[in-house]
Amino acid sequence: MAKPDLTTGSVTSAPALDMRDACFEELCQIATADRNVVVMTDDMGAFSLEKFEKDLAPQYFNMGIAEQNIVSVAAGLALGGKRPFIYGISTFVTMRCYEQIRVDLCCMNLPVTIIGSGAGYTYGSDGPTHHATEDVAIMRALPEMTIFNPSDPVLTAAMVRMAYKNSGPAYIRIEKGPLPCLYAEQHDFQRGFEVLRPGRDVVIVATGVMVHSALQVAEELSNHSLDAGVVDLYRIKPIDEGALSSSLGQAKRLITIEENSIIGGIGSLVAEIMAGRSRPVPLKRIALPDRFCCEYGNREWLHAYQGLDVKSLAKTILEWK
Amino acid sequence: MEVCEMKEIARRVRYQVLEMIVSAGKGHIGGSFSCTDILIALYHGGILRFDVKNPKWSGRDRFIFSKGHSTEALYAVLANLGFFPVSELCTYGKGGSILGGHADNKVPGIEVSTGSLGHGLGIAAGLALAAKLDKKDYLTLALLGDGECYEGSIWEAAMFAAHHRLENLVAIVDRNGQITLDYTEECNRFEPFDDKWRAFGWDVRVVDGHSFEALLEAFMDVRARNAQRPLMIIAKTVKGKGVSFMEGELYWHHNVPKGDKLDTARSELALNG
Repeated sequence: MAKPDLTTGSVTSAPALDMRDACFEELCQIATADRNVVVMTDDMGAFSLEKFEKDLAPQYFNMGIAEQNIVSVAAGLALGGKRPFIYGISTFVTMRCYEQIRVDLCCMNLPVTIIGSGAGYTYGSDGPTHHATEDVAIMRALPEMTIFNPSDPVLTAAMVRMAYKNSGPAYIRIEKGPLPCLYAEQHDFQRGFEVLRPGRDVVIVATGVMVHSALQVAEELSNHSLDAGVVDLYRIKPIDEGALSSSLGQAKRLITIEENSIIGGIGSLVAEIMAGRSRPVPLKRIALPDRFCCEYGNREWLHAYQGLDVKSLAKTILEWK
Repeated sequence: MEVCEMKEIARRVRYQVLEMIVSAGKGHIGGSFSCTDILIALYHGGILRFDVKNPKWSGRDRFIFSKGHSTEALYAVLANLGFFPVSELCTYGKGGSILGGHADNKVPGIEVSTGSLGHGLGIAAGLALAAKLDKKDYLTLALLGDGECYEGSIWEAAMFAAHHRLENLVAIVDRNGQITLDYTEECNRFEPFDDKWRAFGWDVRVVDGHSFEALLEAFMDVRARNAQRPLMIIAKTVKGKGVSFMEGELYWHHNVPKGDKLDTARSELALNG
């Protein structure tokens, strides 16, 4: 995998780090300094979470498989002055307890962070129960909610810290495995998106793991004389609409690529923002179809099956007239 | 406070609830009436620790009103105590009022926003756990409806609270035996309800929820219990308590009396107590 130079768009090799390690090592540091930070899991482990449990045992709670209770208890802890971080598989910690998130966290705007592991097809052959493909849509609809979808370990750690400093509820979708670093340690992530690669002909907006695919797609497109830019939309909510609209408005054509349902994800988000502009920009949304995927294979296989692999993506874009 | 004074306050609260609901044209009168005496015992019986002048006082007990649809009774209790002007009750349910149909934590004295059932016990357990972690001596109390005990989340919270030995948590169930359309024992049986809570690891007391003597006795030692278990107080109540034609009748879950019925209700609440 490759790391783009943010000023030139050129690419260098970069080390891959586990996204969960990046998340929990940062959280461990925060919780060591602030003993009000607590981690609550629905019986979901991670290697780097074991260190948290060992070093900060009084701040660690395996709540069992009871997501509704986790969210309500987290709300109570937050009202009692604690800073809860909930960790579990994305589908379960967003969907099983959605109403608790809406009423207990969002209605009262409480500082509780939900860390969902397994964005999109991370869990591959585990099937649709484990595919987080509608979580962006439902979480976007909640007032007060902040949504982060980091694309690299540096961003993951930064998002954990930003969620900690946030005064309301947040949802961080993290990857289960390693991803190469795209950003420098001291990068400023306040804006919510980053132009990783400028492009004259087309601009691809992606989020999470698909940012890496988008960068490879852009390389592939350059072999076909198509100059493609890449935007990493790492904060899905709130959006700096003016800045994003202004940045994307420069493009001749826009593509969104995501490992979410075509309904309600970043394709919808970009369409909503760009629909308000006086000068229309042609937009193509590439996402998962509106159906459950009951075909089984690993993430790579599923991407190819759904047309989200680099080759298929490049072909789709090249064929878009 | 003497029991006779509490009875008079309860009568006044029920009267205010009736007028609020009649004025707004909607509300949950039956459940408000069934929990009124419990609220009076907590707020006027010297059980809850609170400061009207400083509703966010850090040493206050945390009272979670989980059956948020009966909030009219809580509004009246809080207004009479001075958390906000009694005149505010006249605005209930009207444009721009701070008082809506379900409990909202922006109202002075209301700890948590509720209205969707089954949330309050988990939130209360989190507050009780936070107090234990920080060695704070406030109590957390939650008032539940019995109907919301159909929610699985209540039993998730029940298990959690017992596991963490939250002896600083007290839950009260307004056991009026009714839901909107049915009687609980004809819909999905709760009984033996007390044994269910005991099996989940709670201390359980069953009391007459309309007897101030019984309620105060049940609450008397909540701050000094020699137990490592949360406490459940099952308060046996009557839905619509205080107005003869409403008592135990399903119709009065959320209907509004009019005409002769309204006259009768007004006259009974004016004369009783």
